[in-house]
Parts: sequence; C-alpha cells; structure tokens
Amino acid sequence: MSIPAEQRQREFEGEALIHLDALYGLALRLSGGDEPRAEDLVQEAVLKAYRAWDRFEAGTNCRAWLMTILRNTFINQFRQQKARPSPVEFDQVAERPSSDTLYDADPEGRIFDRMIDDEVIAAIDALPDEFRVAVVLSDLEGLSYQEVAALMGIPVGTVKSRLFRARKRLQERLYDYAVEMGYLK
Amino acid sequence: MSGRGTDSPDGSRSGERELTCEESLARVYEYLDGELDIGEHEAVKHHLEKCRKCYPHYDFERLFLDYVHELGAEEESRPGLRERVLEMLAAEAG
Repeated sequence: MSIPAEQRQREFEGEALIHLDALYGLALRLSGGDEPRAEDLVQEAVLKAYRAWDRFEAGTNCRAWLMTILRNTFINQFRQQKARPSPVEFDQVAERPSSDTLYDADPEGRIFDRMIDDEVIAAIDALPDEFRVAVVLSDLEGLSYQEVAALMGIPVGTVKSRLFRARKRLQERLYDYAVEMGYLK
Repeated sequence: MSGRGTDSPDGSRSGERELTCEESLARVYEYLDGELDIGEHEAVKHHLEKCRKCYPHYDFERLFLDYVHELGAEEESRPGLRERVLEMLAAEAG
C-alpha cells in the first residue's frame, strides 16, 4: 500500500534528509574529494531512496539504509568505469627506503594527536581509486574484508593487499607532512 | 595454518608452535581488523602483547587505524545541496 505523496515527502524530509551531510561526507571520500561528482552521487542515491521509501521499515536505522544505497550507487558506477583499464598503477610507484618511515620517526604515534584532519583526508583523497575505495569502505566505514571484496568484485586477498599498501602510503604522506610542519625531524 | 608443533626459530618448543616476530607482524592488520579466526587471533595476540620488539609496532598501527577510523564519522556540508535535493524531489513527485 503506498503512502499519499504529501505524507511521503514530509516523512522523507524529516527522517532521511537530516542525513544529507553524512551522505555527502561519504560521497566526497568515495569520489576522492570531487565535489560535483559527490553531489551527483548524493542526488542519485537520495532519488533511489525516495522511490524506495515505501520499503523502508520505520524504526530501523535510516542513516545506515541511506549509506548502503549510496555505497551501492557509487560501486555500480565504479565497477563500470573499472571495466576499462586504470591509468595509474599503484604498483609502479617506487617504494621509499624502509628507514624513512613514520614508525621509525615517531614510534609512539604522537603525531596522530597533532595532525590536522584535513591533511589526512587530502592524503586519502589522493590515493589511486582502487586503494582509496578499499580504505574508505574498510577503515572509515568499518566494513569487513568480505564485504569490501563482495562490493568491489575482487578476492579477499586483493582487499588485504590493497589495504596494506594504501595504509603504508598514507603513513608515508603523514610522515612527509609531519616533517614539513616541523613536527618531526 | 601449517607447521604447528615444530621448533620456532628462537629455539622454544611447545605443543602449539609460537609465532615468530615476522609472522605476527605480517598479520598485524588482520589482527587489528578482527579478520583472523579465533585460534590465530589468540596466537597473534599472545605474541604481540608479550614481545618487546613487536609490541611498539602493533601499538603504533593500532593508533594509526583508530585515528583513520575516527575520520569516518565526519559529515560535510555543501552549499545549496539541500535546496537542490528538495527541488529534485518536488519534480519527482510531479
């Protein structure tokens, strides 16, 4: 049984649209900081949610429901794009000597208290797509390896290796930033 | 996992072979991500929390992942987005 249009709109505004900033935050991270692309993603996900509003169970977690719709919308586009070869291969990037690591410079991780979030977010945004998406889904959104693998259509072992490389790359960026800011020598 | 019950490189011997530093650190992310099965989780935990050499690495990675995870809760606003979404919904409702 469908809800009258006016009531549906009122409900949707009151229950779903309060999560717009959370949706946009996730869209921005998934799209690597591309604002117009993130907005398109939010618009598409919101429209899908609105059309499916009759199927949303009142009293369940609306934010989680919307985030899932947004993730799936992004992943569908992502997987279509990835049917074409990726221009940048992370593996081609030279690894730095293992002595220049954030761990060696700051083994107690004091830098994490001083780091500006925007710098870390910029470092996440700058990761190559396949690596960034794995980090966002796993580290920011808390999905399991299995869930990330299923969404991205890759084996669990690939998720593991992408996370490993992406996390090391982030630590390298944080190291460079910390040196630049004079936090580390 | 293979190799249970054999000598560990440090010469100790037990029914359940203890993991080496290298083996434990190789699993540190899976451990922190909660992706190991119970037996392996316990073996890695046992090593990382007792080994003076590995513990700082483990603690550092834990702080790093906690820090990155906290960024996940961040909301972002975009000027005019709410208005444009409302317009879109009005058009959809006809």
